[in-house]
Amino acid sequence: MSTSAPMLKVDGLVKRFGGVVALDGISFEIEEGSVHAILGPNGCGKTTLFNLIDGSLKTTAGRVEFDGHRIDGLSSSKIVRMGIARKFQVPGVFNDLTVAQNLEVALAGEDGRFGFLGLLLARPERVRRDRLAEVAGLTEKLEYAVAELSHGEKQRLEIAMLLTRNVRLLLLDEPTAGMSVTETEAIAELVCVLRDEHGLTVLVVEHDLLFVKTLGAPILVANDGKIIASGDYDAISQDPRVVQSYLGAAANA
Amino acid sequence: MKSKRRGLYATVAAWVALGILGLLFDGWLLSQMAIYFCYGMFAMGLSLIWGQAGILSFGQAIFFGAGAYGFALVTLNKIPGLGVSVAMGFVVAIVLATALAAVIASLTFAARGLSGAHFAIVTLCAAVVVETATTRSDYLGGYNGLFGIPPLSWNGTMIGDHALYYLMLSITLLAFLSVVAIIRSPYGTLLEAIRDNEHRVRHLGYVPHHLKSAAFILAGALSGLAGALFAAQFGFVSPSLLGFALSTQVLVWVAVGGRAVPMAAMLGALVVPGAENMLSNVLGDVWLLVIGVLFVAVVVAARGGVFGNLLRLPLPQRLRE
Ligand SMILES: Nc1ncnc2c1ncn2[C@@H]1O[C@H](COP(=O)(O)OP(=O)(O)O)[C@@H](O)[C@H]1O
Ligand SMILES: [Mg+2]
Repeated sequence: MSTSAPMLKVDGLVKRFGGVVALDGISFEIEEGSVHAILGPNGCGKTTLFNLIDGSLKTTAGRVEFDGHRIDGLSSSKIVRMGIARKFQVPGVFNDLTVAQNLEVALAGEDGRFGFLGLLLARPERVRRDRLAEVAGLTEKLEYAVAELSHGEKQRLEIAMLLTRNVRLLLLDEPTAGMSVTETEAIAELVCVLRDEHGLTVLVVEHDLLFVKTLGAPILVANDGKIIASGDYDAISQDPRVVQSYLGAAANA
Repeated sequence: MKSKRRGLYATVAAWVALGILGLLFDGWLLSQMAIYFCYGMFAMGLSLIWGQAGILSFGQAIFFGAGAYGFALVTLNKIPGLGVSVAMGFVVAIVLATALAAVIASLTFAARGLSGAHFAIVTLCAAVVVETATTRSDYLGGYNGLFGIPPLSWNGTMIGDHALYYLMLSITLLAFLSVVAIIRSPYGTLLEAIRDNEHRVRHLGYVPHHLKSAAFILAGALSGLAGALFAAQFGFVSPSLLGFALSTQVLVWVAVGGRAVPMAAMLGALVVPGAENMLSNVLGDVWLLVIGVLFVAVVVAARGGVFGNLLRLPLPQRLRE
């Protein structure tokens, strides 16, 4: 769908922590139905960017718009309800709960039942739950405690938990951290499925070059809180600034 | 599957056993046991917030005491215009406890985002303040409290020991079923999720402090009912019912019984004070040592409590394959 206004618009975003400038005027736009990756080394401000978009932190300057509405300054729960869901860098799953319980938490508030009475009386749909378990590849493990899952399984579970009826934009913070090559490829595939079959818009931040390459999506390269290059993988990998500031560092890592 | 149903069978067996106990005893001992059911309900309220949602409160006696005082004030005709009806006594008790819980919830969770140790300390201070204020209030009887609360009666005759026991058993069973219905609903799952990772719950679109406040208020209401029933049987209320000491005791009962399992918490509140009653005469101060050691042992070694694992109900059918 190519509409005139972008779904997400980040404009001149600045975030300072005391003397540390984590984001130094970042601007970009994301069209509905697309997948974009932001590539950048550790500490370049990727997680901070997500913290600003989803209302976890207050901006120092700049603005964030979703569907043409300004959202910076809104609470996280409001922003989620508008349709922006986030996967955290450290998997944000409930370790003490079972897989089925985790999915219930994700789905129970669907259709606006976020309050006490709505939840008390909610009759969760088995079909939806089973569908998400399938996405996570955990159909056989519904009764497992999440603490018993592998790191990769937790990552997939968390992504599945974001797929509620009202979600439209997914923010994925390093979804392949700590994964094997095969698992990484599976996640890249999953992201494409989310776009093509679930109609979702996806913004991924990553420091892992391989994943971004596998993903095959347009890339914004960030360094020191700024976007320094953009384009597809071949274009950015030729860019001297990228090679110097990012690929050089990665080669040594 | 067999091991999963064990908790259900054990829970039913425990209720049957409590029913049979009423046939085996009479007199003072039986009325004592009936009073302990008040502690049992009080403990289930704490289990709801602490065991399920991870909210550690050192001020639960505020609500128990508010219920007791509310009931006493009405039945002693100290609130002009309300009359002396027992029914009104219960209404005032529950309303008062609920309102106090709502005030504390809004001052802590909602206004300041307090949780964990900060919340525990605030509730502890609140209990001390409420207890101290009550001892200074002439209207509330000061240190001595309020005497002469009329015993529960039916058509003008006092309810006998056995009837009272089974009345209390039934009310406690109803409270148990209500708490179980709450924690087995999706709302109960949300409370568990909050206990585990409140931040993630917020980022799934919920407002955790609303959900925590609801649990806290429900627990307050249940504690208020328990306090009113206590006052009705004990005939006398005093500031210690509102204070820090009782708040701590109920934490010990619930921890020893098993905080995450309402039935276990309830049995903790029957068994620990019951044992205290019997053994403190024999053991004297050594009793304190025994309960202290038991508490530490539970905290360190058996986190599920003495009865927790035995009485844990299987997950609801919808959460199983
Ligand atoms: N809450 C915070 N308080 C202070 N400094 C922070 C905070 N969050 C991030 N930073 C700093 O901002 C910079 C960017 O961090 P981050 O966004 O986590 O990077 P990335 O996710 O790209 O690895 C780092 O220098 C980090 O130390
Ligand atoms: Mg990061």
